[in-house]
Amino acid sequence: MTGLLSLLNPGWLLIAVGLVALFLPMRRIRQGLTIAAPIAAILLVSLADRNINLLTANALGLEMVLYRVDNLSYIFGLAFLLAALLNAIYAWHTDDRLQDGMSIAYAGAAVAATFSGDMMTLFVFWELTAVTSVFLILRAGTRAAYFASMRYLGVQILSGVLLLAGIGYVYQSRGDLSISAFTSLNEPGAMLVFIALGIKAAFPFLHNWLQDSYPKATVVGAVVLSAFTTKLAVYAFARMFPGQDALIWIGAVMTVFPVFFAVIENDLRKVLAYSLNNQVGFMICAIGVGTAGVGNALALNGAAAHAFCHIIYKGLLFMSMGAVLYRTGTTKASELGGLYKSMPWTTIFCIIGAMSISAFPLFSGFAAKSLTMSAVGKEGLTVVWLMLLFASAGVLEHSGIKIPYFAFFGHDSGKRVKEAPFNMLLAMGLAAFICIAVGVPAIVPGFGYEWLYNLLPYREEAMAYHPFTLDHVLTQMQLLVLAIFAFVMLKRLGWYPPEKPGVVLDSDWTYRKAGYGLATWTGTVWQKVGPALTAIFFKLTGRAYNRIEAAFSPRGELARGGLATGMATWTAILLGFVLLLSFITAG
Amino acid sequence: MSDNTPNDTRDASGRFVKQAAETAHRLHTPSEDGVHPISKILFGWTEAEITGTAIFWGVGILSAFLIVVDLAVDRHEYVHMAEATGFYALWGFAAFAFVVLMGWPLGRLLRRSEDYYGDPGGPPADIDPDVPAAPDTSPTYPDEGDEL
Repeated sequence: MTGLLSLLNPGWLLIAVGLVALFLPMRRIRQGLTIAAPIAAILLVSLADRNINLLTANALGLEMVLYRVDNLSYIFGLAFLLAALLNAIYAWHTDDRLQDGMSIAYAGAAVAATFSGDMMTLFVFWELTAVTSVFLILRAGTRAAYFASMRYLGVQILSGVLLLAGIGYVYQSRGDLSISAFTSLNEPGAMLVFIALGIKAAFPFLHNWLQDSYPKATVVGAVVLSAFTTKLAVYAFARMFPGQDALIWIGAVMTVFPVFFAVIENDLRKVLAYSLNNQVGFMICAIGVGTAGVGNALALNGAAAHAFCHIIYKGLLFMSMGAVLYRTGTTKASELGGLYKSMPWTTIFCIIGAMSISAFPLFSGFAAKSLTMSAVGKEGLTVVWLMLLFASAGVLEHSGIKIPYFAFFGHDSGKRVKEAPFNMLLAMGLAAFICIAVGVPAIVPGFGYEWLYNLLPYREEAMAYHPFTLDHVLTQMQLLVLAIFAFVMLKRLGWYPPEKPGVVLDSDWTYRKAGYGLATWTGTVWQKVGPALTAIFFKLTGRAYNRIEAAFSPRGELARGGLATGMATWTAILLGFVLLLSFITAG
Repeated sequence: MSDNTPNDTRDASGRFVKQAAETAHRLHTPSEDGVHPISKILFGWTEAEITGTAIFWGVGILSAFLIVVDLAVDRHEYVHMAEATGFYALWGFAAFAFVVLMGWPLGRLLRRSEDYYGDPGGPPADIDPDVPAAPDTSPTYPDEGDEL
């Protein structure tokens, strides 16, 4: 039995539970299942043997690897499953079959994709994450959410189509679909796969689906969405494009540009969406530095550790903003403030998430980010390293200070609400516990940050790295404390820009305004020009018909006897001439 | 009224449990003005008038201390310029201040009204049903709804 169970891809279990949950009206049984499934899945994956194809299938002549676990997929899968568990607890107060079912199926699709060993299986679950997650946005029920969800679905499906096209080329050239690293972007299909993954990882200019849709999702939906899609793309990049130079610069740009948008954004869930972009940038950059195999293990360890910690602390931050939204009906910074008075526990958990993402020593972000920073520095990429350091101060600004300060402190909005429901507090408490537990020094060997390092793809190299050196702690504290000092000073001088309501334009303007405008303009023009063109067409064809009829019809010019005789004579002369010509040339 | 129960027959442990229950209840029952008791314990200090000034000077002194400590530490970095004393401090301060100050021109350049895209939206359907409904700001579409 154990042998059979260890062959079951845990993602499928979650998807099956999601399908059952869709049709299960008994609320508590349904929610109990969504909590039990990730726990069972964690047990399943820990039973599985590593580095062998556990389950394969042959379909249409393709060898498909449905379940394969190795050190890289294990840490991503584990993070996804922990997130699924926390999300299910966070959703306990709701009674929504569709949301419960789709949340767990979405998590399942991400896990199944992570543990797939060939590109076709990856593609199937890649698309399933899109189809299941869109309901978490739709479920918000607003008109804005409806349109955002359609744009989201369009972009996600486009990613899937590009991936499939890339897979086609890969199969043609390799004759095999097993997931392995591309040596260069010039390989057949590599560029298509790269862009497909880039869309899901929210590369610059391909990123706006994220900021457009996540803040419009339901309270629970935004928390669920924050964990899976982008990190699945990070995993796929680590698998297929490690050491790809382009990723270094793309990642570095990704860390820097969202910082500026996050400063002026008023919706705090959208600030978190920009922050997500920035964090994924660190991981992408690390993957670009790391090379497959024996190369720079430090960087790939950094990407994996960062993804694990990020899934938990970003989830925690989205949970805390979800709790605020749940109780106050808004996450606009201009309408919030002073909530610590009525939501002290949420405040504390949010601060723990904020300190983790800002990489304060003793919190998870520090243990993870140090690996990436060291790897980039070690490679001698000074400009990239400075960009990442700049972005680290930026993270402190928008996620470390802005989120907790404007929601819970700052100007008192006078809102006095109830503390978040107990299940939300429990989920936030567990996430906060993980943030601290993997961030503290390993006083007891194997615990603290060592627990996390033990799970990393290159375990021995990870265990040889020590984040808690005097140099590290001192420099990180310098960066953070002086940045906080800048905040305090700018606030005191009144130079900190006030939070104002409004929409901040980003690259989605090109399709939401310019593209849409062009389409409607074309429509209007066509409405007016169309009938005129049709009239011209009919007039022209009518005239042509009349001419043809005048010439060829039985009553027409050409049908008259005289001309017909003349025509026959001329035809005979021409044919004779051609015959003569051919004789001459042949002779 | 006097309590007739002799002292020695009282259930001391029961009384302790009762007291603990009452304390727990008191600690999670918000006052009439909606303030959570825990908030006073955890964040009551932020309400003192001196807090702002104290934080400013506290963070300032801590900053100075961290730079002074840096003088005594001989750091070895992969990036050589980072070995300069106070490099991280300067970079952190400058980066943060730059990002925040860029908020002024960027806000003016990129911020538009909330219904710029034609639909400002609203809270999602799954918020607390007790939250008073916000005024409906979504635009009306004359071609939708009940047909006459």
